[in-house]
Amino acid sequence: MLQLKVLLVDDEQEFVTTLAERLELRGMHVEIAMDGEMALSIIETDPPQVVVLDVMMPGLSGMEVLERIKAIDPKIQVILLSGHGATKDGIKGMQLGAFDYLIKPVDIDELIEKLNETAKNVV
Amino acid sequence: MNKIKSKEIVFFGKITAGITHEIKNVLAIIQETSGLMEDILAVTPDETFTHKDKFSTSLNRIFNQIERGVDITTRLNKFAHSPDHSPANVDLNEVSEQMVLLASRFTRLKNVVLKADPHDTSMIIKTHPVALEMAIFESIEILLNALSSGGKITLSPRKIQNKCILGIGYENTVLPEEDFLAKISPTERWASLQEVMAYLGGTAKVFGLAPEILLHLPESIDD
Repeated sequence: MLQLKVLLVDDEQEFVTTLAERLELRGMHVEIAMDGEMALSIIETDPPQVVVLDVMMPGLSGMEVLERIKAIDPKIQVILLSGHGATKDGIKGMQLGAFDYLIKPVDIDELIEKLNETAKNVV
Repeated sequence: MNKIKSKEIVFFGKITAGITHEIKNVLAIIQETSGLMEDILAVTPDETFTHKDKFSTSLNRIFNQIERGVDITTRLNKFAHSPDHSPANVDLNEVSEQMVLLASRFTRLKNVVLKADPHDTSMIIKTHPVALEMAIFESIEILLNALSSGGKITLSPRKIQNKCILGIGYENTVLPEEDFLAKISPTERWASLQEVMAYLGGTAKVFGLAPEILLHLPESIDD
């Protein structure tokens, strides 16, 4: 079975590191980035198959990062994590090419389900 | 409402909405951390952890409180965004449920349960959201102050002869409407409610033996 390579992008360090551990326990290969610039740099050098991307971050916003990811490689799947006002962010994100969006705090089973769905598209 | 007052409300809402995002991040970290503990617990053999059940029960309590916290912050965020656009389309079912969550603490202090009884279909009106929320809250406070403690207050949006009405009713006391009105009409709160309702282009009336305040609202208010 394909080991999914995931990049988690969120400025809340404790959130991303813990979520990364949980995904690793489920057999995924996970990298983390604390902001958009760092995420793009990882994507350029060691592209993941899926990016889980927070919408609200200091510096480059999630939407800007999403646009740049799609410009680098449209095949990279992006799942957005948004707080409140999820529908608005979600619709905008999907228009920009996001695979889907989830609301924070994220339900791990729902996230795994979405990641598995993206896996079908990245083989 | 003068311009500075409106700006004050928008400012207050903006700061509050920003803080709700921060609280959600805190809840997300607590959720992931307790989730990781649950993951580790799941792969730990029972015989190596004597208090596994108690640990698991405690984790479930944390998860329930996270859910509660998320619900409250989501409603608070929505409430904080109320002044963003005014007038705006508001679903009376949704605003009733929102007010239940936000005002429950005030009713709980008088042992009163606050509930919403939504209409079968959505009841969307164009109104001033903050003023509407104020009118609902004032009505709840009028009931809490005028009546004995205990019982239940229900927010029930409904349509009567095609008119949009939001009922705020109290189920614990039988009190003829004229007696209830005589009790509340000299109060400042009742005068304030009338003022807010006039701003919303509607009226507040009392109705029934189990005291109920009916907010009659126009379907659309001018910009």
